[in-house]
Amino acid sequence: MNDSHEGIVDEVRRSSRCVVLRFFLPLLLMLSVPLAAHAARDVPYIPAKDSVVLQLVPPRTDPRVRQFDQLRSDFSVHPQDAAKAVLLAIAYVDYGRSTGDARYLGRAMAVIQPFMASPTPPVSVMLVHATIQQSRHFFQESRDELVQILKRDPDNVQALLTLATVAMVQGDHDLANRLCVDLTNNAGNFMGMICSASLRSLSGQGAQANALFSYVEDPGPKAPPAISAWIEGLMADNAARMGLADQSDTHFKKALQLTPGDNFLLADYGEFLIDHGREKEAIDLVSGDTQSDTSFLVLVTAEKALGLPKAKADMTEMDARFRSMDQRGDHVFMREEASYLLHVEHSPKDALDLAMQNWKVQRAPKDVRVYLEAALATNDPAAAKPALDFIESTHLKDVTINPLVAQLHAVQAAAVPDTTSTPKRNGR
Amino acid sequence: MNARRLLVTLFALVVAMIPLCALAHKESDAYLTLRTDTTDNHVMHGQWDIALRDLDYAIGLDSRHDGAITWGEVKAQRKVIEDYALSRLEVKGDGLTCAMQPTGQKIDEHTDGAYAVILFDAVCDKNIPSKLTVVYRLMYDLDPYHRGIVTIHSGEKIAGAVLGPSDPIASLNLHEPDRWGEFKSFVTDGIWHIWTGIDHILFLLSLLLPAVLMRRRVQSRGDGWRASAAVAKTSGTLMALTTQPTRYYWEATSRFWPACLDVIKVVSAFSLSHSITLSLAVLGIVHLPDRLVESGIALSVMVAALNNIYPVVHKRVWLIAFAFGFIHGLGFASALAGLQLPAGAMAASLGGFSVGVEIGQEAIVLAFLPLAFLLRRTWFYQVMLLRWGSLLIIALATGWFVQRAFNILIPGFSAIIPN
Repeated sequence: MNDSHEGIVDEVRRSSRCVVLRFFLPLLLMLSVPLAAHAARDVPYIPAKDSVVLQLVPPRTDPRVRQFDQLRSDFSVHPQDAAKAVLLAIAYVDYGRSTGDARYLGRAMAVIQPFMASPTPPVSVMLVHATIQQSRHFFQESRDELVQILKRDPDNVQALLTLATVAMVQGDHDLANRLCVDLTNNAGNFMGMICSASLRSLSGQGAQANALFSYVEDPGPKAPPAISAWIEGLMADNAARMGLADQSDTHFKKALQLTPGDNFLLADYGEFLIDHGREKEAIDLVSGDTQSDTSFLVLVTAEKALGLPKAKADMTEMDARFRSMDQRGDHVFMREEASYLLHVEHSPKDALDLAMQNWKVQRAPKDVRVYLEAALATNDPAAAKPALDFIESTHLKDVTINPLVAQLHAVQAAAVPDTTSTPKRNGR
Repeated sequence: MNARRLLVTLFALVVAMIPLCALAHKESDAYLTLRTDTTDNHVMHGQWDIALRDLDYAIGLDSRHDGAITWGEVKAQRKVIEDYALSRLEVKGDGLTCAMQPTGQKIDEHTDGAYAVILFDAVCDKNIPSKLTVVYRLMYDLDPYHRGIVTIHSGEKIAGAVLGPSDPIASLNLHEPDRWGEFKSFVTDGIWHIWTGIDHILFLLSLLLPAVLMRRRVQSRGDGWRASAAVAKTSGTLMALTTQPTRYYWEATSRFWPACLDVIKVVSAFSLSHSITLSLAVLGIVHLPDRLVESGIALSVMVAALNNIYPVVHKRVWLIAFAFGFIHGLGFASALAGLQLPAGAMAASLGGFSVGVEIGQEAIVLAFLPLAFLLRRTWFYQVMLLRWGSLLIIALATGWFVQRAFNILIPGFSAIIPN
């Protein structure tokens, strides 16, 4: 046989993606709607009975699903109407975000894609496009597009906000700061304050950030709960960075009360609980949402930390989920996977490689943290230099990060006298 | 800022912010596996796992709208699912599209939920794919981030590709082109074309039936027979239009070899002429409209059978075979064209098909000759087969001729005799 290949075809190893399903099915059964309890399998099968429930999908009783249907039929009547396309796409993005179901980002993209073909797409269409790019962690692409939008429409509040957020994720605090000023000028104090508070929270000015957040914590009874929940979440993160665990806990709980089941909050709060030795609570928190990869990661990490017997099976499942993401060539989950490799799989070398790759894309405090942790675990302070420089230039302060910086400096200092006599152990 | 402005801004916020979250689920995937068959190298066995959530979005599986997709709902929609999916996938062998035949429906569990499993065969009918190409278009209009994770197993070799709306095509060289295998495959096609082409068989049989017999003139009258016999002796041709109707009878040949020689002549002449036109037509040098060719073939059957009732040609039957062989060759060519030739396999397919046609017809002859020789003295052979059989063949061929030449459908005719 001739083994030559063409085009993008490349060798793949045998996938074991289905092997773990015997562990996965019991998790499905933990969902609120009972799924049929057929035997776990790792090969295609024919279900025993017609009544076997195979998959839960959003039911018609969900008002958001009825809203989709309405918007979709509106759009199908006027397929050339960009405004209707944008409304439908926003509904999809919104739903995808709150449930964490990334499929809705693709569906939204399909709706607006025809309008993107024009040389100058409507600003509203481009905004949705940039938002989807950002949600999929294509930060640079999103940023370029938002810059284009602001050239055409310099006062576009949503573009300013989204770009500020992207800049913060990318660690470009100068740009973020300029945008916060623009926001204040264009959208009033409310937006400007949230923007500056977020930026201060990332720049070692937790107390000021908290003060600013307190001003906007109650945006009024008419504001959608998602806004309040979002601010509470930001306050919780800020308090956690300052080491104010009780305050943070209170904010998290308020946020989750406002938007129960919000995927981002569940994972964020879950990680907070694990940090504070409250693994059991973390498991209780996310156990109803294990179809979500971020929630499942919290579950596995907590199980592993507690040494639960279930951890082994769930690790296999988590691994399979990472593999199936790899298979499709997605690398949006690098920070999470690096953290998993470090804390659950205990392979610091791989974790460091991934954390460094992740560093090229995003530089939020959690990205900094896993980078430093991995560098420390591999005893390779030199590898952490970009992150350490970043901390120095942004003045980032975080109780989970500060000790890592100190430890890395200590390792570095200890290594200095020896560098001439002993070969570097973890030279890269 | 007034309240209304604030609210509008707030709504904008909901979408704009909260961006730090990672995607909590992976995006839409489907898993396509193709395996070569160890026993039949024309067939690839396919398994395609497509998420029920995606199918529900695309064609609506949750018929009760209760948010729970059951096996019963999936089963009921099997045809719809297969039509939807398989029409968005092309498997090509050496550039020729293979036919997709669904073979089963199952369910598989993946890390992000239950998937419908479509089992199918990609039948690359006439060639043995040396280069396999997959054109993947599932969800291309519904989700640009959908990915088809394709794995191809060819013997010990495994290859993979990730396909999606922006990158829908992957190719893989399975092995060197198997020209010998294709040649053999076309030999089989040639044999079957002869065996299932009842018009070709009847033409040949009509010509062969008299081979084991000698025609003798009934010598009841004295006047004029000498002259006629002389003509018959020299030219081998008997004038049908003599002044007086001449009567003949059939006499069995006494020896096998002369009969055999006759048969060889007929078959060789037929082979020679149909090979010529088959080659010319396949090479594109000669082209006649199908209608003309097909009615010509029907006419040739009529003439061949008629010659057994009202003999015009006897000793040189091979001439009829040779003359009408040209038109039969064109018929073979259009059958071959209908098979879709793999590029670069012209020689293999043309040669193989010709050899197959020869083998098919030799087999008929080999079966016919000993049997005919054994039965040649019987009333059954001389009257039932030769006379009434030929009349029946004439009737059939006339039917074909009318249908093909005038494009008329004779009611009930096609039901009795296809072709």
